[in-house]
Amino acid sequence: MTTLPTEAAEGTVLTAQTARSPKKPRLIGTTSWYVVALFISAVMVVPLLWMITIGLKSRTAVFDLPPKLLPHEFTWSNFVNGPEAIHFPRLLLNSTIITALSVLGGVMTAMMAGYALARLRFPGRKVWFYLFVGSMLLPGVVGLIPLFQLYKSIGWYDTWLPLIVPAFLGGNPLFIFLARQYFLAIPYSIDEAAKIDGAGHFRIFTSVMLPLTRPAWITMAILAFQASWNDFLNPLVYLYSSNKWPLSVGMASFISPFAGKTPDWSYYMATNLLYMLPPLIVFFAAQRYFIQGLGSLGSTTQK
Amino acid sequence: MSRASRGGMSRNAGSDIKAAYLFIAPAIIGFTVFVVYPLVRSFYLALTKYNGLTDPIFVGLGNFRRLFTVDPAFWPSLRATGYLVVLYVPLSLILGLALAMFCNQRFAGVRVVRTLAYLPVVLPAIATITLWKFILDPQVGLLNAVLDRLGLPTSLWLQSPSMSMPAVVLVMLWGVGGTMIIFLAALQAVPNELYEAARVDGAGSWSVFFRITMPMISPIMLLQVILQTTAALQTFNQPKILTNGAPGFSTNVLMLSIYKNGFPNLGQIPQLGYASAQVWVLFVLIIAVIALTAKFSSLWTYSDNTPD
Repeated sequence: MTTLPTEAAEGTVLTAQTARSPKKPRLIGTTSWYVVALFISAVMVVPLLWMITIGLKSRTAVFDLPPKLLPHEFTWSNFVNGPEAIHFPRLLLNSTIITALSVLGGVMTAMMAGYALARLRFPGRKVWFYLFVGSMLLPGVVGLIPLFQLYKSIGWYDTWLPLIVPAFLGGNPLFIFLARQYFLAIPYSIDEAAKIDGAGHFRIFTSVMLPLTRPAWITMAILAFQASWNDFLNPLVYLYSSNKWPLSVGMASFISPFAGKTPDWSYYMATNLLYMLPPLIVFFAAQRYFIQGLGSLGSTTQK
Repeated sequence: MSRASRGGMSRNAGSDIKAAYLFIAPAIIGFTVFVVYPLVRSFYLALTKYNGLTDPIFVGLGNFRRLFTVDPAFWPSLRATGYLVVLYVPLSLILGLALAMFCNQRFAGVRVVRTLAYLPVVLPAIATITLWKFILDPQVGLLNAVLDRLGLPTSLWLQSPSMSMPAVVLVMLWGVGGTMIIFLAALQAVPNELYEAARVDGAGSWSVFFRITMPMISPIMLLQVILQTTAALQTFNQPKILTNGAPGFSTNVLMLSIYKNGFPNLGQIPQLGYASAQVWVLFVLIIAVIALTAKFSSLWTYSDNTPD
């Protein structure tokens, strides 16, 4: 494992700001650094602040010319009427169920496969590993049309099953790869000891391995959460009824122009903020794992 | 499992095999159903005329002939895809690396900048794309308002045939924090002794960058080139929501064209065979990118293993 961004920087950054470090030379002066930092921060934050001000404007003030940065009067009711118009509670419930189940399935089956590939000896172990890893290169779109027809023929079209069941069948090969890497790093003497105590593979997996690999599956759970919460193409293709839609499709459909009606942007932006909150909360609660997950992607190729 | 421990080596191995296959059974079933089956089936469908209701009719290479010679939308969609990749991938890599180097320095508040730069990656893609759709609105959008106030030229952005693709790429680049974080991990893995030695030898910033930083992070750069290019080739969400391919075919990328042919609006007949042929064009493009990048990687990546 290589050094991960947060751990290396966090402690030193805040304390040693003035001392010129012999380790990392400064490329630019302090003033210009802060000017650029301010610019970067503005580019990232201003669109979000603007979204909130749109969410607070009245339906007509949104179209004032020239556009004003701050609303004249704060229309707090957008935060109630907007979600109602978009059926936000329904969409949120759908997204929550779909995401929770696919996170559970994706992490569980990847951990199981990773355990077998890393710690059990069986014929075909290498072959399956390469097949799983190789399937990472397969673009998802290849499956779209054949699976659409398959789901249709077994009555899964317009149900949540196409969004959930694949996760329970080792859905993400990247997770299998990550799980295997983590399992490989655990000393084998631990299994030996557990085996002598009479534990079978299931016991070793659940009560020895799972606690030891906590960072691995938390990272995977976060990646799986993001993937499912953000998925747009699959629910768009597999779900027809609007009352089954997750947030991604429901939100997007609210602003797609149809029947010549202009979308209600202030309602939309107020609701958009609510849509962003769950991932934001997860991010700030588990920031370390977010960075770790992506860092591990990088470090696996860097030995 | 008392029996396994009593049975000695062979018994133990037997129980290992059984357990192993129980543990990877879900993944194997998934691999068969969601990888092997679609791969074979989609190749077959690419050679057929298929509306999803009646049986597929075998037409050989007819779909491909129609794609390359008849369909007025195909070449523009290929061009739009190529334009998107050529515009997005280099910019994403350069900005991502620049941002990573910027955030890899010791300043108070660097952590805040890093978190903010990563923030758009965390937010739901649909939420940010729709937000940008409104920011890019020529009349009431934020971008033109800011440009106008700064005395800079404004644009029709998504409504302009020439600016629509750059605008789509701009929206994608707002998520450059994802690239940054991977480069940041790579930068922090570079041993400090290398920098110290270079400093002692009196190397300037540029030569440090080109002779130490770049060679050391080149394996990650290679991975990034492959991942970003294959992802960019499959871009769907941004053009679907921002423009739906308009104006003209300017942002009608291959993925969008596949979607429109395979899953058209109600009342139109789905062309699943034809869309599958397009999928295979995309698939071949992706394989070609991976193969070419990997083949020429030895020219510009550094490896501390001596080549065989």
